[in-house]
Amino acid sequence: MNSIVSIRDVVKEYELGTTVVQALRGVNLDVQKGEFLSIAGPSGSGKTTLLNLIGCVDTATRGVVQVAGRDTARLTERELTDLRLNTIGFIFQSFNLVAVLNVFQNVEFPLLLQRKLGAKARKERVMSLLEQVGLHTHARHRPSELSGGQRQRVAVARALVTEPLLVLADEPTANLDSETGNQIIDLMKELNVKKGTTFIFSTHDHKVMQHANAVIRLADGKVLARESAKDAVAHALSLGEAPTAEARA
Amino acid sequence: MTIFDPMLWLIAIRSLFQHRVRTSLLGAAIAVVTALLVSLAGIYVGMKTTLLVSATTLMSGHVNVAGFYKSTASSSAPVVTQYQKLRDIVQRDVKDLDYVVQRGRGWAKLISDSGSMQVGIGGIDIVNEPGFVKVVQLKSGSLEGLKRPDGLLLFEEQARKLDVKVGDRLTFSAPTFKGTNNTIDVTVVAIAANIGMLSSWNTYMSDQGLRQLYQLNDETTGALQIYIKDLSKVRAVQELLRKSFAAEGFELLDNDPRPFFAKFDGVNRESWTGQKLDITNWEDETSFVQWFVTILTVAATTVIFVLTVIIGVGIMNVMWISIRERTREIGTLRAVGMQRRSVLAMFVTEGFLLGLMGTTAGVVVGGVLSVVLNNAAIKLPKGAQLVLMSEKLIVAPTAGWIVFAVLFITGVITLISLIPSFLAARLKPISAMSHVG
Ligand SMILES: Nc1ncnc2c1ncn2[C@@H]1O[C@H](COP(=O)(O)OP(=O)(O)OP(=O)(O)O)[C@@H](O)[C@H]1O
Ligand SMILES: [Mg+2]
Repeated sequence: MNSIVSIRDVVKEYELGTTVVQALRGVNLDVQKGEFLSIAGPSGSGKTTLLNLIGCVDTATRGVVQVAGRDTARLTERELTDLRLNTIGFIFQSFNLVAVLNVFQNVEFPLLLQRKLGAKARKERVMSLLEQVGLHTHARHRPSELSGGQRQRVAVARALVTEPLLVLADEPTANLDSETGNQIIDLMKELNVKKGTTFIFSTHDHKVMQHANAVIRLADGKVLARESAKDAVAHALSLGEAPTAEARA
Repeated sequence: MTIFDPMLWLIAIRSLFQHRVRTSLLGAAIAVVTALLVSLAGIYVGMKTTLLVSATTLMSGHVNVAGFYKSTASSSAPVVTQYQKLRDIVQRDVKDLDYVVQRGRGWAKLISDSGSMQVGIGGIDIVNEPGFVKVVQLKSGSLEGLKRPDGLLLFEEQARKLDVKVGDRLTFSAPTFKGTNNTIDVTVVAIAANIGMLSSWNTYMSDQGLRQLYQLNDETTGALQIYIKDLSKVRAVQELLRKSFAAEGFELLDNDPRPFFAKFDGVNRESWTGQKLDITNWEDETSFVQWFVTILTVAATTVIFVLTVIIGVGIMNVMWISIRERTREIGTLRAVGMQRRSVLAMFVTEGFLLGLMGTTAGVVVGGVLSVVLNNAAIKLPKGAQLVLMSEKLIVAPTAGWIVFAVLFITGVITLISLIPSFLAARLKPISAMSHVG
């Protein structure tokens, strides 16, 4: 099987004092190359937890998480960091740009960590991505001089600059108004189509959800279903789930 | 990403700039300590140099060839016989020689119309002593007078106590080395500004006069004072002379790093008679004032150390706060693939830069402070004047000390910043995900 992500019987427990919270209770999931996958579910259903496991920033309590064919439980801290650097791109809910670096430097940063490209090649790569996200004229701006939507575009460029196999985005639109949010998703979708990069993002917003190829529906730490975007939206609307979840988030 | 990566430096510099108020406060604190270190070093060097120059011209050469002559086992005179021959050997063997002079040494009662006091006498051949002329600051009279056999140089304090002025006549009375008492009349030809402890007990007269008082022959003197060009060679010269003199058949006392006047008892207890040479250096002869310099050094070092520790703790705390504030940024960098050691390097770089900026500012401030203090010509307290052989505070930081101050304090700050930096490096990438702060 040629999955980029393969998750088998994964359980994730958090210890809160004496009580144990089960955030994921036996999750199975396969993600294929080139997918544009949404993870949906009510607040507390385990979306963030799942993305953190896939993103190698956290480890499962039980079960197997394979990313790019590697069992993350068997990797050292250093190997995990390298895996993140070379295989995964992150887009964060709060953008998480480095405040003291300008747009260009923020996007260039992962390339510097990789030490693969020379200065000229780096510059070309960064500028081409900034152009794709429509910010090539803002290369010298600091994040604080940009709008939320612009910042998230920079973050998208940063996530893609290393040409990762997989980009993870936990509620990338939650801090944006819905129109800007849609633009970001459109941008991600465009890059997914053009470059074949796999995207996994979580969202509460059914409007965002409908761009996905498929939606993984989580509830209470379990995968309820893998459905088409259309079904998922219909589902969400029928349950009236989206507005409540949004209100809680 | 290593410590040499420009991006790390960029983030470090910009982060420091981002928190300019904090950076300025810490930088200022570091600057104060550095300035203090530079100034104290300046005082240390200035005073030690002054002491060295005064002491070496007035009471000791860089290296001295002195010794004791014992006519009987229990009576010793602080003289060297055959000094011309010894001087020839010095001139022949010491490559680094600047000049060599002979000084008579005496201890006599000086009697004026209104009083008397026990003083040391340096018998000086003024024509051949270029250094002496530079160190002694005359208040009245002239050094020319010391060419006269009966010319005497007093210091202000002595002149005041004896109530004499230039031109007045006094009498020296001393037991000669042969055991009889002798007196000679002398004339005050010069009165010099006080030079610390020395001015309270030493006087100078012409070499000839001293010979008359002690009825010494032309072959005998108190000590040969040897001045060399490179002070770091003092010990080597001492060693060399010990060998040279021994080879020429002279007998030598064991090396004893004390001033000559502390050695009488020991020498008198030994059973030998005749001449033995004693080779000392300027530090030995001035060791009785060196303790003050040592105390000064220890006190200054302690102050610097305590201040550095205080500043260090402050810096550690502030970095701690800074790292807490930047948790999400650090988490993000870790998430996108920055290794722990690079995070460590980034924060240590910040500490290093902060240290470097602070110390650089401190060196400038310290330099200016030194110049100001020096020009202010601050009068030292009496006690300090005595031991430091200077009336004024002299501040002269050297380039070596300035470089040391920068390196040392920057080094300490960098080391201290390692601790919070390790903490930063241990932050989990998942801390990038928190949506607050
Ligand atoms: N660090 C943690 N410590 C303890 N419990 C946690 C921790 N993180 C998550 N949980 C718990 O795990 C469960 C799943 O949380 P998770 O954040 O994955 O849900 P989510 O689907 O992302 O929710 P939301 O839509 O609100 O972001 C919740 O019950 C949550 O309280
Ligand atoms: Mg979440």
